[in-house]
Amino acid sequence: MTTRLQLRDTGAMRRTTGLFILLALLCLPWADIAVHTLDPGRELGRLAQGLLWPQWPTTRTLAEAIASTLAFAFQGVALGAIAGFGLALLYRRRAVRWLAASLRAVHELFWALLFIQLFGLSTLAGVLAIAVPYAGIFAKVYGELFEETDPAPRQALPANASRLSSLMFTTLPQAWPNLAAYTRYRLECGIRSSAVLGFIGLPTLGYHLESLLRQGFYAEAAPFFYALLILIATQHRWCRGWMIPAMLLAALWWLPPVAPVNGALIWQFLTHDIVPAPLRSGMDALPWFMDLWQGQLWPGLINTLVLAMLSLVVMGLLGVMLFPTVSRLFGNRWTRGLSHGVLVILRSLPEYLLAFIALILLGPSMLPAIIALGLHNGAIIAHLIGQYSNTLVLRDDAARGLNRYFFEVLPRQFRLFLAFSLYRFETVIRETAILGMLGIPTLGFFIDSAFAEFRFDRAVMLLVASAVLNIAVDGCARIIRRRLHLQQQVQVC
Amino acid sequence: MTGFRLQQAALTVGGQTVLHDLDITIRPGERVALLGESGAGKTTLLRALREQQPNRIAWCPQQPGLVPVLPVFHNLYMGRLDQYATAYNLLNLIRPTPARRREVTELADRLGLGDQLWKPVEQLSGGQQSRVNLGRALYQQRPLFIGDEPVSAIDERQGADLLTLICEQHETVVLALHNIDQALAHCNRIIGIRAGRVAFDSPSDQLTSADIKPLYPSDAS
Amino acid sequence: MNRITKTLCVSIASLLTPAVLADTFVFTAIPDQDERQLTERFGKIADYLEQQLEVDVQYIPVKSYSAAVSAFRSDQVQMAWFGGLTGVQARQLVPGSQAIAQGVEDTAFISYFIAHESTGLAPADSLTDTLRGKSFTFGSKGSTSGRLMPEFYLREQFGEAPETLFNRVGFSGDHSRTIALVESGAYDVGAVNYAVWDAGVEAGDIDTDAVQVIWETPAYPDYQWTIRGDADARFGDGFTQRVQQALLDMTDPDLLAAFPRSGFIPATNADYAPIEATAVTIGIMDAQ
Repeated sequence: MTTRLQLRDTGAMRRTTGLFILLALLCLPWADIAVHTLDPGRELGRLAQGLLWPQWPTTRTLAEAIASTLAFAFQGVALGAIAGFGLALLYRRRAVRWLAASLRAVHELFWALLFIQLFGLSTLAGVLAIAVPYAGIFAKVYGELFEETDPAPRQALPANASRLSSLMFTTLPQAWPNLAAYTRYRLECGIRSSAVLGFIGLPTLGYHLESLLRQGFYAEAAPFFYALLILIATQHRWCRGWMIPAMLLAALWWLPPVAPVNGALIWQFLTHDIVPAPLRSGMDALPWFMDLWQGQLWPGLINTLVLAMLSLVVMGLLGVMLFPTVSRLFGNRWTRGLSHGVLVILRSLPEYLLAFIALILLGPSMLPAIIALGLHNGAIIAHLIGQYSNTLVLRDDAARGLNRYFFEVLPRQFRLFLAFSLYRFETVIRETAILGMLGIPTLGFFIDSAFAEFRFDRAVMLLVASAVLNIAVDGCARIIRRRLHLQQQVQVC
Repeated sequence: MTGFRLQQAALTVGGQTVLHDLDITIRPGERVALLGESGAGKTTLLRALREQQPNRIAWCPQQPGLVPVLPVFHNLYMGRLDQYATAYNLLNLIRPTPARRREVTELADRLGLGDQLWKPVEQLSGGQQSRVNLGRALYQQRPLFIGDEPVSAIDERQGADLLTLICEQHETVVLALHNIDQALAHCNRIIGIRAGRVAFDSPSDQLTSADIKPLYPSDAS
Repeated sequence: MNRITKTLCVSIASLLTPAVLADTFVFTAIPDQDERQLTERFGKIADYLEQQLEVDVQYIPVKSYSAAVSAFRSDQVQMAWFGGLTGVQARQLVPGSQAIAQGVEDTAFISYFIAHESTGLAPADSLTDTLRGKSFTFGSKGSTSGRLMPEFYLREQFGEAPETLFNRVGFSGDHSRTIALVESGAYDVGAVNYAVWDAGVEAGDIDTDAVQVIWETPAYPDYQWTIRGDADARFGDGFTQRVQQALLDMTDPDLLAAFPRSGFIPATNADYAPIEATAVTIGIMDAQ
């Protein structure tokens, strides 16, 4: 029985890979790929010059931007973890699972745009923008961790022990190490998210980065860029033990999570602004919807899928090509160190920022977005597979170089590669939506337009569509993983 | 030099000396069997011998080290990765060339794997995998052969056939074995290892099972 | 630069502190050009208003056109220097708010269409089919001179949407960036606020060999100061009128250069009815 399953597996893995490449090739005619700057070399030169000779802002400016970035991240992740924990306790209920899936299907930038309408440009809006989607993610991961614990201790408890005490004495202690590790890891993602929120006006590192990069002041942008990089790259060193509660308290002191709550405004938003315009004025809703469908929803969906498929294949290629550069099975200490550094940079920077830089250099088309998504996610895949390949033990007489790569290592890592890539699929779709804010007409582009036009009814409709797409893609990826018997793997943001 | 030579050698594993005072010279044409309890240091000794001239040796380790998702053909072909250009290897990875296909098919037939040639090795039984491991070493076509229990997972009759094949194809053969009868039947020199030293080293026709028995003190029988 | 970024950061963080807002009259302006200069430009205006009004006045910079409207809507700012379209949007979202002053030039504002020299497009009196198939960039999605009116005239002339007329349509974000993108050739053609262009040419910031004006739109009403309807209740009777008077009295060329305008004249919501009608026509606003 097992052999027959495995037989189907190997063929199926090959077919799945082929299918994804084929789909990406079919997408090519619809993809808008072109270089539109007449002289990208000149811009690249200015960027390099700016990075090499940064122009420093005052220490205070930089320190405040860093402090705010951390404050949003810590408060958002903490609130998300608490809410997610609560949801995880009820994760067996279908309604809770759907709620969690919907929360995490909307990108934090879009949550931020929504909350800014409700609470103004306030700390609370920023904290909630991180906390809400993260609660959905935490609910899922915590819920799964609880399910994976050994049921024996629980069953051995006295029959009438309350659910809570059963949880505290059996489930929680077992799941704790994984729970804590995952939460800490999520903090890293939180810092990235917090920086990205600056792009729409919260006072984090991204605020300065976006303004300065967009206007081409590379030397002035460089310090903020380095600050973000160092913050994320060193996060695992300073973010542990007693530092975490201390940082959280400091975050609450630096930016208390409050907002000028205006009841009337919130009420109007919920009961009027997000109600489709024709319903408000008692007209026929169908033409309104068809207009939205033809003009925005359909082209947005197509562009989102085309961008995601192409990025996924670029990600896969880069991942497969780059992982040997950090694997102990290849190269020497120096090449590995260098490559490791490059990969850290690529995976620390938010895709949005990478796309932004690529856009400046290559001009407006889908190409910068594909490059950005491919590089960022490819670097993550390469890092993970590189790590796993270090556990391989090869024969004493195993081949070296390319022979070793193609015969010994790649075939052994392929299953893992496929599993990781499928996990990244959902992330790639989420990120394609927000790259729309850079002008690529994905769903995110139209969502951003709807917010810019203050037509919240359309914005909410488009957000729901992008959430449904997200959930559908996640479902597809899960089905393929199950078909190919790719076991559950670590989560990465 | 085409044989092996160890003089006053001590072999260590992880900082601990496993074998002391080794004085072993193996001349071309000899067929040597290493006997001793598991953990006696046979594998360590084979490794040390291999390091003396790695490029002239067909190496058959005890851990098969196969690539599970690749078919038998490719796992066998891998024995010669160092003998062809990388581009040619890649071509054979994607689409095997007729010449190599013919050679490997012939070898697989001798190993009794003719029907399984295009099956991923993860779908084979333990014994079949063990034959692929041996086949990969045979396909290297080197003058010397070092094998660490090459036939221990294979049934006795077929194991004997394969040992004959090994001896036919190689000038010099060094094998770690646990089957005493096989050792006596196929090798002309036996080295017994016990308590970290060479207990005896003599032509196989001068040994009886009574000489060999002390090598296995923990054996209940 | 250092001083500017410092003030910039202090102000952006202070936006998050509601306590500051209680007794301070806060205003903002749409970020229509170089953001590094915003605080410098409008900081002086805040000082001037503080003197005239005898209340604390603070200027806070915002990141985008829509952020300016959001801040106005959620009462984080009580007054703003809006463009024609953002003003209409803001007044629609905050009933009772009113336009109180506009620049002398804003009664008859125009947009320039600018083109890179490689396109071979020459200045003309009307839009011609030579534009077809070029790449085109607007400014911000919410800009009147950089998006709304140019799109209106394009649709009027060609009878089709910019997306089908051009092979690529982008939104640069602000007027300075539009000029930079067309100057570098990233886009063939762009639409830009004439005042920002003229100021740039005068300052010598634009390479007029690489990019030139090829067409100008007919006149339309644009920028204006809009104040919330509850300002009197908060800062005392007649406050709105005092603010209006202070703006109309602004004669210092140094202050006026921040906009850049030659002076301010009274304005009313009705002055902007054509803008609202245009926004509905091109489909970026729902009819009320």
